[in-house]
Amino acid sequence: MPPKQGRELPSKESALFKAILKLYEHKQYKRGLKQAEQILKKFPEHGETQAMKGLFLSHLNRKEEGYEFVKKGLRNDLMSHTCWHVYGLMHRADKNYDEAIKCYVNALKFDKENMQIIRDLSLLQIQMRNYEGYNETRHTLLSLRPTNKMYWVGLAISYHMLQKYDTALNVLSAFEESLKEQTDNVPDYENSEMLMYKNLVIEESGDYQKALTHLEEIRGKVVDKRGWKEAKARHLLNLGKLAQSEVEYRQLLDQNADCHAYLEGLLKARGLVGDLDGTQLEKAQRLMNELGLKYPRSHIIKRTPLKYVKGEAFHRMLDEYLQPMLRKGVPSLFVSIKDLYTNAEKAKTVEEVVLGYKNSLKANASFSGKAADGAEEPPTAYLWVLYFLAQHYDYKRETKKALECIDEALAHTPTLVELLMTKARILKHGGDSEAAMKTMNKAREIDLQDRFINSKCTKYMLRNDKMEDAEKTITLFTRSESADPLADLTDMQCMWFALECAKSHVRKGEVGRALKRLHQIEQHFCDIYDDQFDFHSYSLRKMTLRAYIDLLRVEDRLRGHPFFYEAATIAVRTYIALYDKPKHAGSGGAGGAEGLSEADRKKAERKARKAALKKSGESAAATETSGTAAANAKVDKDVDGTKFLDANYLDEAEKFARNLLTMSGDRVEAHILGAQVYTRKHKYLLALKSVKRAYALLSKPSASNASPQFAADLHVAAIEFWNAVNAAKEQKAAPVPAPTKGQETAQYPTQSPPLHPTVVTLLDEEIAALFKVATPAAFNTEFSKNAVSSPESALAAAQSGAPITILDSHCSDVKRMSLQTAISIHKGLSSSPIADRTRADKFRDAARTAFPTATYFK
Amino acid sequence: MTTTDPQPDVEAKNSMQAKYFRKALNDLTPNNVGQLKALNEVIFTEKQSDDFYKDAVKSEEFAKLALFNDICVGGITTTKETVEGSDKTKVVITTLGVLNAYRRMGLGAMLLDHIITQSEEAKDKAISEIHVNLQTKDEGVLAFFKGRGFAAKGSSGALVRLINAPVSA
Repeated sequence: MPPKQGRELPSKESALFKAILKLYEHKQYKRGLKQAEQILKKFPEHGETQAMKGLFLSHLNRKEEGYEFVKKGLRNDLMSHTCWHVYGLMHRADKNYDEAIKCYVNALKFDKENMQIIRDLSLLQIQMRNYEGYNETRHTLLSLRPTNKMYWVGLAISYHMLQKYDTALNVLSAFEESLKEQTDNVPDYENSEMLMYKNLVIEESGDYQKALTHLEEIRGKVVDKRGWKEAKARHLLNLGKLAQSEVEYRQLLDQNADCHAYLEGLLKARGLVGDLDGTQLEKAQRLMNELGLKYPRSHIIKRTPLKYVKGEAFHRMLDEYLQPMLRKGVPSLFVSIKDLYTNAEKAKTVEEVVLGYKNSLKANASFSGKAADGAEEPPTAYLWVLYFLAQHYDYKRETKKALECIDEALAHTPTLVELLMTKARILKHGGDSEAAMKTMNKAREIDLQDRFINSKCTKYMLRNDKMEDAEKTITLFTRSESADPLADLTDMQCMWFALECAKSHVRKGEVGRALKRLHQIEQHFCDIYDDQFDFHSYSLRKMTLRAYIDLLRVEDRLRGHPFFYEAATIAVRTYIALYDKPKHAGSGGAGGAEGLSEADRKKAERKARKAALKKSGESAAATETSGTAAANAKVDKDVDGTKFLDANYLDEAEKFARNLLTMSGDRVEAHILGAQVYTRKHKYLLALKSVKRAYALLSKPSASNASPQFAADLHVAAIEFWNAVNAAKEQKAAPVPAPTKGQETAQYPTQSPPLHPTVVTLLDEEIAALFKVATPAAFNTEFSKNAVSSPESALAAAQSGAPITILDSHCSDVKRMSLQTAISIHKGLSSSPIADRTRADKFRDAARTAFPTATYFK
Repeated sequence: MTTTDPQPDVEAKNSMQAKYFRKALNDLTPNNVGQLKALNEVIFTEKQSDDFYKDAVKSEEFAKLALFNDICVGGITTTKETVEGSDKTKVVITTLGVLNAYRRMGLGAMLLDHIITQSEEAKDKAISEIHVNLQTKDEGVLAFFKGRGFAAKGSSGALVRLINAPVSA
């Protein structure tokens, strides 16, 4: 390698090279490329020019060539900061941030004070949440440019993120000092925001007294008056200065009487949160009464007391709350009432009261008794009462009564879209997805310009596996000018659509397509995370510091979002199913295709292929006709997502599972899936960790872990784990046989590598402590004794080897099951390992009577 | 576009009436024609063809929906024909209906009055009469039309109201 020689160009070329750098800054890539080639004609081995040429090429859509030249340039001049910088830029453009950081660090070795490179490095470090490195880089920046306020604030943020609050505060104070020397030319807003940021840092350090004192000091300089006041109320509350805090919250409520946070703050200041006793209840009620008189237009003040009051008082307040709403016609009324239904007594009162309205309105056009002359209620009041009742019965899954109510309402006024939508919903809950879809489509036809209904209708079509209809419907509202309307939805990161498509594909056994959709959702989340990049510099420049800190925290929790959670759980299940039943290994399809017979599945596959062919033909035709714009657009060559079927299933599953475990670690389901994946990967310690965590979570009551299905699933996963460990211990001496079958070569070995003796000891100890019995079979026997509590658990026990008779008592009590449970019980009875035809048929007959509308049992 | 009743509602005695008994007319558009269809299926026994609704959407001011508290509860549709032996046009009311629960509140009158006003204000005074062929012998319905200047004409059984001519009783 020629090291330094050849770096220096003759003066003419040197000037040309400088011009090239300018051209890059001005984004004149074509001219830059030409001039770079001009230099290379004379000095073909000049590394920096080669690197620049590569950079230009990659910006001109010739990325591979670009990388080639950048690497060549780097080889020719390993000591050049320019070459490393360019290589870093290439990686950064590809969002390969870790690699980019390495390149920047190398570049800095050769040019220690290059501001551009240091700044870029700091951005990459915060993007990767490398706070230590970020802190170091920020130090360098500040020492190089101590007059720039951005660098002061940046350093403070780096200490803040490292939770070194004192140092962060010192940095901010030192900066304030330096400001005082200058003339006051900092804009008010930026100064104010910096002070409020400082206050936030003090607050997070936990020193509320200091925060409060500081807040008072900066009062005159803060322009965000409301933010200031909210902070004051919060600090006072945290300090336990309740009376003062109450004053602040009352003033805040005066500004906005419909703000939940203010009302909650006030209640906290009065000590009226959590489980209230008799006198507290009375106090809370009096307070709400007083506020109600003061702010008659506030909705939350009317709504909140319904949580506290009971009995006769509840009846009276409910009356006062419901009547105006029904008179006015508030479609969301039931939604704001239904959280009271956790209290069965209140649910009953609501039913009685609204049924009373129905009868009274029908007889006298009044909510109660005979209406005074001229004070009759409008006919719509009766309509909204029926609408409410339909939702009420639907909530209780009394499908028949719900349908009666909604049908009466529809006969009364067939043009109200909400009625049809609710009817569709009732039908869906009743298990008739086809009728639900048709009803939702009727609703859509009544109001063609409503995007919400259009989307709902699309969703119902997807639930009913009518992919083509769904695509046609959703495209009515996508951008008309784009060549492929469905690609527009991807661009818009429309996740519900992708998710419903994926679920439908899973049901139809189109696993590749499903995985494609699920990975698309994962990609959206990557993109959202990447999108924060620009804010690392923007927020410092604009001093929007508090919002910036919020953003960092949101991004950190991004994959905890329900859309990601759902997509990831489906993806893990699908990959596990693929792994357990490789495509070429004979019987049945993978994933959700279990309901289909072999012939059906083949037919479905054929149909899907045909449709895909037709579709690609259409889009090809479109490309030909619609000129250059469409020609440039990427044509999807893998509509069926076959590339996902060739991937390593367990590796892919693990990627999703890892995100679930870190971001949704408080959910049992995440750990069950984690255990399943790690068991199959022969990572038994990680599997053990998930199993243990899952049992711990199940023992604590929480809404997201309440489903009895989880206990059943965990039991199955635990036994599977234990059996796998036992099998792995057997493997100890035997050499691992090479995988034979075609599919398996790409996949993980089905047999475990021998375990380390320490691991075996540890697993033995932990398993003994966790399961408390000697064998998986004994564990199942123990479990089946308790399994009488839920049909799901009984099924899981039976599937794990307990006698089928333990299910019998549940099967004869199908009326008390939810439709979902009934379906999974029937599926369990009719498939292996139980496959008890007689019991399955008997159960189906019983279920048919219990769920008359459900198509599954027909 | 929603247009409120141009004439002050004399029956709106108090604010409750004005607030909770809101009445208005709405244009018939391709997007909401489904509502008219849903209405007519409940109000009339006879089912109209798809072409009927396609034409109705094109009638501009001569087809309207009636709203009660922002819910569509009634509608009127008409067609235009040439009067025999004249260059004038006659408006024929094809459907006029209000849902059962919302009758006797002036919505039907609002719809009909709108058509009458529109006919009177038509360009070049091109409209000379409004026809309606009643399918019912209901006395109330008959009185409703007669009260608005309609009268039986000839043997066809149609009720006719002359436009821009002295009303004959």
